[in-house]
Amino acid sequence: MTSRMTPGTGHAALLALPAVLPIVVVLAVSLVAAALQSLGLMPFIGPPQLSGDAWTGDVQTLVRSGLASVYIASISTVLSLAVGFVLAAYVLTMPRMGRLVETLSAATIPIPHLIGAGAIGLLLSDSGFLDRLLGMPDSFPALVAGPGFLAVIAEYAWKESAFVALVVLGSISRSVGDLCDAAATLGATAGQRILRVVLPLAVPSLAISAVIVFVYTLGSYEAAWLLGPVSPEPLPVRAVRLFGSVDLAARPQAMATALVTVAVSAVAILAVVFLLRRFRSLR
Amino acid sequence: MHRFFAPQARRRPALLPVTAILALFLTSCSGAAIEPTEQFDSFGEVLSAADGQTVDLWMFGGDAKGNAYVDETLAPAVREQGITLRRVPIADTPDALNRVLSELQAGRDDGSVDLVWANGPTFSTGRQAGAWRCGWTDLLPNMQFTDPDDPLLLDDFGAPVDGCEAPWHKAQFTFFYNSDAIADPPTSLQGILDWAEANPGRFTYPGPPDFTGSVFLREVMVSAAGGADQVPLTYSEQAFDDHAPAALQALRDLAPSLWREGDTYPRDEQALNTLFANGEVDIAMTYGPATLTELVASGALPPSTKVLTLEEGTVGNASFLALPVNAADAAGAMVVANIALSPEQQAAKADLDMWGQFTVLDTELLSPAQQSLFERLPESPIVPDYEELSRNTHGELAAEWVPALDEAWRQDIASAP
Repeated sequence: MTSRMTPGTGHAALLALPAVLPIVVVLAVSLVAAALQSLGLMPFIGPPQLSGDAWTGDVQTLVRSGLASVYIASISTVLSLAVGFVLAAYVLTMPRMGRLVETLSAATIPIPHLIGAGAIGLLLSDSGFLDRLLGMPDSFPALVAGPGFLAVIAEYAWKESAFVALVVLGSISRSVGDLCDAAATLGATAGQRILRVVLPLAVPSLAISAVIVFVYTLGSYEAAWLLGPVSPEPLPVRAVRLFGSVDLAARPQAMATALVTVAVSAVAILAVVFLLRRFRSLR
Repeated sequence: MHRFFAPQARRRPALLPVTAILALFLTSCSGAAIEPTEQFDSFGEVLSAADGQTVDLWMFGGDAKGNAYVDETLAPAVREQGITLRRVPIADTPDALNRVLSELQAGRDDGSVDLVWANGPTFSTGRQAGAWRCGWTDLLPNMQFTDPDDPLLLDDFGAPVDGCEAPWHKAQFTFFYNSDAIADPPTSLQGILDWAEANPGRFTYPGPPDFTGSVFLREVMVSAAGGADQVPLTYSEQAFDDHAPAALQALRDLAPSLWREGDTYPRDEQALNTLFANGEVDIAMTYGPATLTELVASGALPPSTKVLTLEEGTVGNASFLALPVNAADAAGAMVVANIALSPEQQAAKADLDMWGQFTVLDTELLSPAQQSLFERLPESPIVPDYEELSRNTHGELAAEWVPALDEAWRQDIASAP
């Protein structure tokens, strides 16, 4: 590692400083403050007193919230990757219709999640648009506020698949054309070209976008709050509820919940970085 | 890859001292008690200090009529006194307290929150944390029009008001029903629960800690205990163990008969109203009955909506304007609170076309001219007047009941498999 430390990198590090420094400072301050509050060292009233109650007091609910969040984030990520990759492959293989699909995907990106969640709510709730379109059947499933967080996952999968498609397209569209042509000349079918050429090229960008989508959906509040059931609560919803609670003693628990979210996200990021390195060294 | 990570890895050791310093700095601020910087002995002093101030009133922003009243009626009246009133809309009242507490924690004595439309639990939490300025409402000349013995104005959710907040309006918890679906409505809370059991899927309530759902939970507890005089106002674990289990049991037994078999609950009053408007449930509830007239008129609720008054009465409260201890424009905030209490403003606010909030003034203390302001108000086709709504009313329990019951509900009912 040190052998690569040429004067050039020192220069590059200096250039990155204005971007990195605020991030590090803001992150450090908020994480330290959250940790101190969760341990009772920054109370609103009374003297600071070290206590692990916020962490150990209600482990069962905290774990349930964690599982709910990981469940939502995992399913949303898998769906976004699958749909996003298919979208990207379609855009690459169908020049004209592909352009249209690409534009539609790009148009999805600037819609705020809150608006997206509201729209999904209007579409999927009982007596929502879809229910009315189908003539209000009694058997309409409880998608919004029902078990399984289906409407929440639908919202994330819809928004994030467009994001995944654009990231994949941006990273491989330049190189993939020639390689596909070469494969086609050598007799590869369309299916083979997608699986043997496009997919391997797309793996790094898929992995990066997977971790972005996972971490985002894990920490995201609005859709889970608006479209999810009252219980179990995903981590961010629990954290915000406890933070706003009229009971000041709930504040440390809110901070502990937020820090659990950070920890799970950190594990996900490290795992993907590790896997990507393995993948690169294999090639 | 390596190249990207190298510079960061090199800088990491420097992070430790930085965080340590930050930690010291942050902890040193905690628990700092702030005293109000300015003290006033008379309302004249307040008026002269208030001239030219801009008062930030933080209030729940989800009520269009309330917003319009503040912007179009209260603010111009305040401006005549040389004060600018700025309404800061928030999603939930505790947000304002959170801001005050964060600023207090940071040691700011020029706080950005000057006045908060507070509800009981927020007020009591703020008192616990010493976040409100106290003993200032005696200065307000318009306090003379309130009844000094009115229990709703002496205690806010069991916490003594002690001049820490100025009354603004009264509210009455109210049930309403769809008269097309229910010909013979129940007349007691137990009757509503029995009706819900007999009509599966046609009733539900917002899930606590939503404000409205939380009130319903307490009303069920009071009803299960046999009346408001059976439950002690002050919270104690003993009282909780005596009375909460019966209420939770009643709601647990009721759950299979609720909307969606009680698997989930509407998020808040608005979500319940949507269910009501879509004909999914036939009974709903609100702490702001004044809004019903407008909701029916605008078509948000069906024309068959009717108010359901209970024989044993429902809970009522007053809401207040509280002044944070570190408010930058405290004098201006006092003037605003005084103007908001004036008979003219209270009457304008009680007008159903304006906002329809019940007055906190005792109309018998007013001059005939001022009384006629209230007598001229139009009547609502849907909502009976305050006298009838508040018949047999009882006050709120102490604020400590609220989180305790909400949490018990979450554990016992919402998380039940």
